[in-house]
Parts: sequence; C-alpha cells; structure tokens
Amino acid sequence: MTDTENSTDLELQLNRRGFLKGCTMVAAALGISEAMIPKLLEAATSAQRPPVIWLHFQECTGCTESLLRASHPDIGRLILDIISLDYHETVMAAAGHQAEKSLHDTLDKYAGKFLCVVEGAIPTKDKGIYCKIAGRTAVDILAEVAPKAAAIIAIGACATYGGIQAAEPNPTGSVGVQDLVSGTPVINIPGCPPNPISFLGTVLHYLTFNRLPITDNLGRPLFAYGRRIHDHCERRAHFDEGRFAEQFGDFGHRNGYCLYKVGCKGPETFSNCPSVRFNDVDAWPVSVGHGCIGCTEPNFWDTMTPFYERLPNVQIPGTSGITDVDSAGKTILGVAAAAVGIHAAIGIGKKVIKGCGCKNENKES
Amino acid sequence: MIYEKHYVWSILLRLYHWSLVSSIVTLAITGFYINSPWTLTTLEGTGLYPMLTMRNIHGLAGYLFTSAILVRLFLLLFGNRHERILDMLPVTSRNIRNMSTTLCSYSYLHDCHDEERLGHNVVAGMIYVLTIIAALFQMASGFYLRLPENVFWQKWGVMLFGTQQHARFEHHLLMWYFIIFALIHIYLVIWNDLKNPDGITSSIFTGNKFRPRNIK
Repeated sequence: MTDTENSTDLELQLNRRGFLKGCTMVAAALGISEAMIPKLLEAATSAQRPPVIWLHFQECTGCTESLLRASHPDIGRLILDIISLDYHETVMAAAGHQAEKSLHDTLDKYAGKFLCVVEGAIPTKDKGIYCKIAGRTAVDILAEVAPKAAAIIAIGACATYGGIQAAEPNPTGSVGVQDLVSGTPVINIPGCPPNPISFLGTVLHYLTFNRLPITDNLGRPLFAYGRRIHDHCERRAHFDEGRFAEQFGDFGHRNGYCLYKVGCKGPETFSNCPSVRFNDVDAWPVSVGHGCIGCTEPNFWDTMTPFYERLPNVQIPGTSGITDVDSAGKTILGVAAAAVGIHAAIGIGKKVIKGCGCKNENKES
Repeated sequence: MIYEKHYVWSILLRLYHWSLVSSIVTLAITGFYINSPWTLTTLEGTGLYPMLTMRNIHGLAGYLFTSAILVRLFLLLFGNRHERILDMLPVTSRNIRNMSTTLCSYSYLHDCHDEERLGHNVVAGMIYVLTIIAALFQMASGFYLRLPENVFWQKWGVMLFGTQQHARFEHHLLMWYFIIFALIHIYLVIWNDLKNPDGITSSIFTGNKFRPRNIK
C-alpha cells in the first residue's frame, strides 16, 4: 500500500487516505467482509478505545522496530494512532519515575480495560533476576500487570514461546507469557519479527468485536497463522514438479526453483508471509531466495535448526555427538544386520560342531 | 512322525499382513523421496510432477497402511484364538512358558521347540504388539502432517508430537523402526523355518501350519 503522495515527505500525521487504506488492508488480512470496514474504522477512531501498556522484557526491540519503522510509514503511524500507548519504553517521551507513574496511573484508572502487549521472554531462573526494570523483575511486573489487563497480546517469538533465550540450554529459564499467565486471555503473534499486519489485525479485531480472534492450538490467530507457508508459496509449482535448488547459487537457485532441499521450513511453518509479505516491496524471505526458517513455530531455534537441513539432528545417547536422522537410522540398521549375521553364524557353527542339526533330531524323534 | 495340517491364519489376517508389507515398502521408498528428492528435474513444462506423484502414492499407501492396522486392531479383539492379543503377550502361564522356551531357543541354549503352539511365539507376539503401537503413532503423525489444518488432527498432533517439525522428525525416525523390524522379522522367519518343520513361511500365504499328530 505504497502511498505515492506521502512516500517522499516525512509527514508525521497519518492522512485520511493512508488511514483508510491501512484499515482496508487489515480487513483483507483478517478476511472480514467489505461491509464490515466502516465498523472497523469506527472502532479504530472511537474515543473509548482501550489504552495499551507495552511491556519489554528479554528482547531485542526488533518487533517494535519492524512495527514502527516499516518502510511504508502508514502502518507504523496507524498503530500509534489507533492504539493509545500509555507505556512503551522505546517510544514514550517519559523516562524514569515519570514512566513508572504513567504505568501505574493506567493500571489504576483502566484496571480490567486496557490491553497489555508483551514483547520479550520472561526469565524465571534464580527468582527472575536476569531481567529487571526499575528494580523489579520481569516476573513481578507481569504478575502485577497481567491480572488487571483485559487481554494480553504476546508479540514475537520470545514473548510467545521463549524465543532464542529459551533455546537449549536456556540459561535464564526463559518462558513465554502463556506459561506464566492464567485467567487473562493471551493471544500469540509469533515471528522473528512478526508481520505488523498480523499484530494490527489482532488489535483491530479486538477493538471492533471486543474479543480476540479465533486461534489455533498454539494460541495463534487463525487469520494470520491458519495456513502453512508451503501451501501459499509462489515456488510451490517447482516443488510439485520436482525442481529444486541443490545448493545456494546453483542453476536451480538462480532459476527460482523450490528451496526445499536447502532447508526451507515452509512445509512445517504456519504464517501468512507468502500472502501478506513485508514492507512496501512485497518481499518475503522465500521470494528473495532464502528458505523459511520457521520463526513462527514454538522453539524454532531448537527444532528448525540446522536451518539448511530438512530435519533436526539426533543426539547420540550418552555422548555430546550429534548426527542426522538417516545416518543414525543406517547405523542402527547396520548394527541389527551385524547382529543377525552373528546370530546366523553361531547357528551354523553350532550345527557344524554337533554334526547334525535340530531339524534332523526333530524328524527322528 | 506324522504332521497334521491346522488352519491358523484367517484370510483377513493374511490380507492385513500383505497390505502392511506392500504399504510399508511403498511408504519407505516414497518417504525417502519426499524427504530428499533425488530426481534432478531442470526441464520445465514436462508435466511429470514427480514430487506430486510421490506424495500422492505416499498418501494412498498411508491409507492402505491405516486400513491394515485397523483390521489388525479388530483381529486383536475379535480374531481367532491365535490372532487375539491374549495369545501374543506373556499374560498366561502357557504364554510365559512359551516365552522362556523361545528365548532359550533363540539364544541357542537348547533346541527345544514348543510344538503344541500354533500361533505366534510370545516373543514375536510382544514385538508385534509394539509394532502396532508404533504404527498407530506413525498413522497419527502421518495424518497430522497430511491434514495440518484439520482441527481434530491439529489438536491431537500438537498434544502427541508438538509442532509439524516435531511430527516430521518423529515420523522419519519411526520409519527406521519399521525398516529394522522388517530385517529382523524376515531373518527370524527364515531361521524358524530352517529349525522347525511347522511351515511358518508358507503359513502367511496359505494360512496353514503343521504340528505332530499326537499333540492335542
């Protein structure tokens, strides 16, 4: 939705045209009827829309960055315009005690009404000392804010499933929001970073219908995470026709063939990347020649690695060695074959020594 | 010694066995292809669709495999006395005796053979029950991978295996169980057939097994 009228100047206000286009785009991503768009617009401009408290824990701020510094400014502005951000460490003007006051004012004034957005994982090991803000641990802050929120949106791989902090061996005992919060509805917008449209869609859905969108079994909204990347991929025809890039830079890669054999995790990853895409340029990893790394799936740092192989490696029991599944399988098959050979050899040897087999004994008896 | 012919394996059990054999062979070959396609197609517009074809065959074989396992589950409960689960596990004193006889015989300690028994020996029976359980997991992970958007399979898939990638990994690992099972199974059938004149190999074609006449 490149807005040609706005693309060159740095206008801070979102104009009506950009606002309508952004909301329409979100409605399309949500898959709701055209007739609902006026309602969506009404909800987005309503004076009673809930304030938002945005908590940052163990994270890189990449989710906020990707949301607010989207190359087309409209989505970023739209987010700032339609949600009333009362506390967001990255973009708020207040600092120190003022920031804390703003947080507590919102908590008191809008208890049970505000939306809480969490970015980043929460470390739980050693009483949570690995992430502290204003002298309080992330666990404490979440425990204070979560019960008072109307709903919690966990944004990014870290807040949803722990992200890279929670990858083996997870030194700080990091977990996602859903592992700590009960009683308040939690919705997961995973991704590293997630598409701003998926976040915005969830917020607008909440503002319009006063409830969170339907989710799958991993707590992700179906409108954004209901389909596998593979099933909407523009390279899918190459997959079905058996045309694959064997390695990066080869004939197949240069001709845009399927990236399955260089480890693309599209077949096991649920996301709307191929249809919604990123930035203005309609690009997404697979369209520019790199396979999907499966960043919207739980614990993808552990399960989707090695990124350039199809399947995770197998840990050899009792050692620190790892091997791929098929080598492990072939080794066990080899051991079984050797055992079979030895077993047969013992049988034959025994027969030779005794001079007569049991078969004869049976017949004679 | 005079041997008597006994009808042991029903037609349904033999159908189950050969459906399972053909589906496992097909599933393993197409499965290897799907995991790591070896055809090098740089021609476009041929309309050959090797991956699509392999996936279709894999799916068809998967349904054959599922049907075979469902038939076996039925026979475990309602089959003849050799086919039921109680005859396969060391749960009766007769079966426990058979298990020790079989283990002694397999480890070459002595040459005795439980001539009275017509069905599976209990060691085989236990492995078969384990294999059916493995097959149920293989089926469940297969359906989860094939129908990822289906609410039923998604619920069970996430509970049993985790994400799609977990399921894919476990589906692939379990395939190796079936390959190793096939190797040992075929070896032990030949071994038993060489050792005992009960006609174990032909029984899966004809359904008949043999035992000395004087044994009741």
